[in-house]
Amino acid sequence: MRRALGESWVLPALDALNREFFTAGVLTLQQCKACEHVQHPPEEVCESCQSFELCPFASAGQGRIESVAVVTQAVHPLLADRVPYAIVLVSVADAPGILIAGNVVGKEPDAIEIGDPVRVVFEEATDPRTGEELRIPQWELVSG
Amino acid sequence: MHGSAAVAGIGESTYYNRGQSPHTEFQLACIAIQRAVADAGLELADIDGFVSYMDQRNGPVRLARALGLKELRWTGIPWAGGGNSMAAAVQAADAAVSAGYARHVVVFRALAQGQFGRFGQAGGSGGGGGAYMGGPFAWNGTYGILTPAHQCALHTARFMHDHAISQEALCDVALACYANAQRNPRALRCGKPLTREAYHASRWIVKPFHLYDCCPENDGAAAAVVTTAERARDLRHRPASIVAAATGIGPPYGAFDGDTLGSAHYRQVAQHLWEYAGCRPQDVDVAQFYENFTGPVLMAMCELGFAPPEGIEEFVSGDRLVGPDAAFPFNTSGGNIGEAYIHGFEMINESVRQIRGDSTCQVKNVERALVVAGPGYCPGSAVLFGAPE
Repeated sequence: MRRALGESWVLPALDALNREFFTAGVLTLQQCKACEHVQHPPEEVCESCQSFELCPFASAGQGRIESVAVVTQAVHPLLADRVPYAIVLVSVADAPGILIAGNVVGKEPDAIEIGDPVRVVFEEATDPRTGEELRIPQWELVSG
Repeated sequence: MHGSAAVAGIGESTYYNRGQSPHTEFQLACIAIQRAVADAGLELADIDGFVSYMDQRNGPVRLARALGLKELRWTGIPWAGGGNSMAAAVQAADAAVSAGYARHVVVFRALAQGQFGRFGQAGGSGGGGGAYMGGPFAWNGTYGILTPAHQCALHTARFMHDHAISQEALCDVALACYANAQRNPRALRCGKPLTREAYHASRWIVKPFHLYDCCPENDGAAAAVVTTAERARDLRHRPASIVAAATGIGPPYGAFDGDTLGSAHYRQVAQHLWEYAGCRPQDVDVAQFYENFTGPVLMAMCELGFAPPEGIEEFVSGDRLVGPDAAFPFNTSGGNIGEAYIHGFEMINESVRQIRGDSTCQVKNVERALVVAGPGYCPGSAVLFGAPE
């Protein structure tokens, strides 16, 4: 899938904490090996038991729109022809309490509502600096 | 109810639209500090501490040297964020003088966005596939969530959804700031009144924020001299006693979390502020609420206990926030939106004026004046000023 905010929009600078999330191709949160606490964004320490032993947690990516705002004024030149675009916060069924930021693809921004069911989809990009393939989580509405 | 420290002097530069200051940011800081010190009836040599907040570029040693301080004994800056730390900075000065680590501490904020660029402008040059956002910015920036306006809009949208709050409530906050600014010659929006029609006709920035829900960007500086209540009694003006101050956040700590979405994150601040002050929201005579955007004002009012979310639209409706005789006297100088965006510090000075009795929108018999800093996402703060004994 092409990038929601355009092929030239900034990429996440991949690092040890965010690489899984932005490259795995499944919605990847972080889980503690010791106490099984799931957290996001990833951290170097378990926020529940303070263990350093953390591993990826694969979410099924079934979510719900918890908030939506529609950006109408571009604050970056690369977004000038991308407004209006919707920014959303999504909760997922298998990791309660966590919110994941994103955009909704394939829907008019003003038609997106709090409570709408969504599922994860992935936009594809190549990091021109390293050649790494990215799979950036995004959201599409689930009809019905 | 009276604190051990007080504000003895206040000062500010002329306020300018962004890019219009004839002075550099450092010079603006010097002007505001000199005026605050003179207002207190002190000499620059009496000052022995500086506190500011956010990424204050005008450091304490450079200031001490430029202003000829006799010595510098206390410096401090609350971590992280922006205007959310404005009251925490006053708290840090209170702590310093109350503990005896310094005698006269200046708290200040100077910003020249014309000189140094805008907070609201997303960073990142380049582009065309060659630009990156790293660290904490990757999680939101990848999705075009770039500015405080975007963050506050997501919280506000959820708050409005959960409590059936209409756009009129946001409009009423903006209208009150503009209306009160019409009385204030310092205010950049003085002489430029806003109507409900003009509010609704203005362009969207990020729904649910119209243009007038967003404070403008300005150049200027404001400063206050904090000393002990005992010393303040012998100085020129009626002191504004620092009755209580609070800063805090606590779990969850993230700006976006399921448990606090649709809030300004003021639960901790409210609890500690009222407990420390030994009074209730109903005891406040006049309040200044940091409005980088209108929405978080409504959430902060609810979390501090002024109204329940279900009643907040009525609480701010009509002219209930407007003028010195308002049902709830609010942002009496015009605030960030109406007076000037000095990162909220103009609200500290306005509260001191309310205690002194010389605001341009003076509320009668002010015993307690509250300042609530910017949204508590990193964390927030508040300070309650009181009339001296």
